[in-house]
Amino acid sequence: MSGTVQGEQSARFSLWRQQQRLAPYIFVSPFLILFCTFGIYPIVKSFYLAFNTTNGPRSVVFTGLDNFRFLLHDPDFYTAVYNTATFAFFSVFLQLPLSLALALLLNARWLKGRNTFRFVFFSPYLVGQVFVGVLASVVFVPRFGLVPRFLHATLAANLDIKLLGNPALVMPALVGTALWMYVGLNCIYFLAALQAVDRELYEAAAVDGANAWQQFVHITAPAIKPVALVVVIMSTLGSFQLFELPFVMMNGPGPNKAGLTIVMYLYQRGFDIGNLGYASTIGWTLALMVLLISLAQVRISGAMRGNA
Amino acid sequence: MDYPPGKAPLAILIMALASGLGLLLLPAGKSSGNLEVWTFADSHYRAYQKVVPHFEAAHPGVKVDLQFVHGRAVTSRLRAAFASDLHVPDMLETEISSAGTFFLGPLEDIGFVDLTAELHKPRPDGPPWYERIVKSRFAPYTSRRVVNGVATDHIFGLPHDVHPVLLAYRRDIFQAHGIDAEKLTTWDEFLRVGRGLMKELNASSPPGQIDHYLIGLSDTDSGDLEVLLFQRDGGYFHPDGTISLDDDVAVKTMCWYVPLVVGPERVGYPVGWNWEVTEKFLQTDFLLCFLMPDWFSGFFQKQAKSGAGKLALMPLPAVKPGGRRTSTRGGTMLGFTKKSKQFELAWQLGLELYFDVDSRAEQFQETNILPPLRAAWKHPALAQPNPYWSNQPLGQLYAAQADDTPPQYTSPYIQLAKEKMSEAICDCVDYYGKKGANGFEAFVRKRLKQSADEIRRQMKLNPYH
Repeated sequence: MSGTVQGEQSARFSLWRQQQRLAPYIFVSPFLILFCTFGIYPIVKSFYLAFNTTNGPRSVVFTGLDNFRFLLHDPDFYTAVYNTATFAFFSVFLQLPLSLALALLLNARWLKGRNTFRFVFFSPYLVGQVFVGVLASVVFVPRFGLVPRFLHATLAANLDIKLLGNPALVMPALVGTALWMYVGLNCIYFLAALQAVDRELYEAAAVDGANAWQQFVHITAPAIKPVALVVVIMSTLGSFQLFELPFVMMNGPGPNKAGLTIVMYLYQRGFDIGNLGYASTIGWTLALMVLLISLAQVRISGAMRGNA
Repeated sequence: MDYPPGKAPLAILIMALASGLGLLLLPAGKSSGNLEVWTFADSHYRAYQKVVPHFEAAHPGVKVDLQFVHGRAVTSRLRAAFASDLHVPDMLETEISSAGTFFLGPLEDIGFVDLTAELHKPRPDGPPWYERIVKSRFAPYTSRRVVNGVATDHIFGLPHDVHPVLLAYRRDIFQAHGIDAEKLTTWDEFLRVGRGLMKELNASSPPGQIDHYLIGLSDTDSGDLEVLLFQRDGGYFHPDGTISLDDDVAVKTMCWYVPLVVGPERVGYPVGWNWEVTEKFLQTDFLLCFLMPDWFSGFFQKQAKSGAGKLALMPLPAVKPGGRRTSTRGGTMLGFTKKSKQFELAWQLGLELYFDVDSRAEQFQETNILPPLRAAWKHPALAQPNPYWSNQPLGQLYAAQADDTPPQYTSPYIQLAKEKMSEAICDCVDYYGKKGANGFEAFVRKRLKQSADEIRRQMKLNPYH
């Protein structure tokens, strides 16, 4: 009898030990299964497709590096890279100072209704790129839109100014819209960093005779540098993935491809024209570009940390 | 209960197992019917909702699952489904500019059923369907294949429409200035008189400001240009799928078009898709005329209320006296998927949706879309005066031009061709805006060739071409 009980206890103990051993795998298995199905498999498949040409839905022929060779001589791809890089450059270099300035303002103790302002500036981000795109397409309408009317009233600009219809004005309109959307978000990051700075440092500096600019350069800037680096990396990578905003604003790449981005070009080639092989080539090239940019930024941030 | 890793992981484990089990036990998202149909147009969806009950009553045991799917989603979902051999509906509608992109690759790989034989089959009640429909409407849904030097056309879709284009004009304004627009039968006459009218209307505007334009024409998009290109028997492709957008017709059309949208003789202003703006155009008499395909006239009626009773329709002015008085814009095909196991049933429903005279007449009343079946044009609904359009018999006006509607030949590269044409317009407008007519024709020829060469290069990327 006692032997049976002991046997049962031993079996239960062994089962318990076995499930303890298996538990981590069971925990991670849902993620692994989903990641392999929707992450790894598409990556492997797109790598395979990048070296093939698809002809219709079923026929695939190996063409080696032909897609990559074609890409190197594809003026549309260069236009897309140029537009994306331009957008990234202006997004980062306009967004950062504006977000920081806004954060400094919102961090000021004398400002009343700070929480309301924070919400107001952050709220465009909450509605998403599609809604912002729709809204922008309405306010930029020539003659009757809010922006042309404002420009006409304040700067005597032509009432028929085509902010989304003139290739030269598309990028400023896009960058402006993105600023409106993301300045509030980046401002929140900076605000969090600013609030972490010890106020006593400012008081001590003031006692030592440091003016506001000196306090900013020697106290604020070093304190928020890590956050600034994160914001730069996030803004750059986000800019390279730009798609919905121009796509919704102009219902496509805009006049003379002025709003064509790399991801939009990938979408066009893959889903409008049906060349999945070439679309995969564009995707892998974009991945490589993003990787190189990220590596450069990580390197620069490492060097900056070293200097700090 | 003691669980060594802690209570939180235990809770997560229980939730994961419960939700996983729930997902496994839930029934898969199955179609609610046994005949699945996708349409991308809201107006079609509403019209078909009325037809489906009749079809179901006539076919006991059949349940039609009619789904309204966004146009872009139709294209991307279908492309992915054809490529991966996943679920597709039994039949679906796709828009003219994406239809051709599904005809890429060997015939046996195309996901749609080849309807050529079915359409040419003699019928007990008269000639084959092919003979009863405006022939030019099969062009956008046809893929021409050449085997051993013999060209054969394969039709993969039933045409839903003809989409003839007429000219909508502000009859109230034209009449107030003593102009009988219907007497302006050529573009030259129309532009000469229209420029005079524009000048009169703009006389009171501040210097340098134009508050009234003659006609809605885009300076960045190929949509309006292609209407005028088709009218001249031009287009993007030849029937065999070779490129025609750099031929003489295209060059001449571009040279004629660009001065209409830029420069001192400008008469055109882009219309776009914002109906609030179109309303403003009508309220402020900003635009006097519009290129008006039948489907667009339906949108106008519903969305631009300010035009009611003020607008009227007339045939397009011809390029030359006695020439074609219409063109075409847009279109929809109904395709039957090869994967469907009930083609016969789907075909019956397709015929009822597209070729039943009474239901198409009802659909016309809802959408202003003229059916491609000639027999339907005699229906009394098409002769009814339409109060929005100055009490004109809208259906008869469109039907009178329908047989003269030019073909729109297609290719799997049709989307690319439209993109490249739009880019060429932008460059030509830029050139003309800066340098005028000096060297313009040579520039247009070179620019269109550049566009065509780019498409040829993309075509060559495909080793099958």
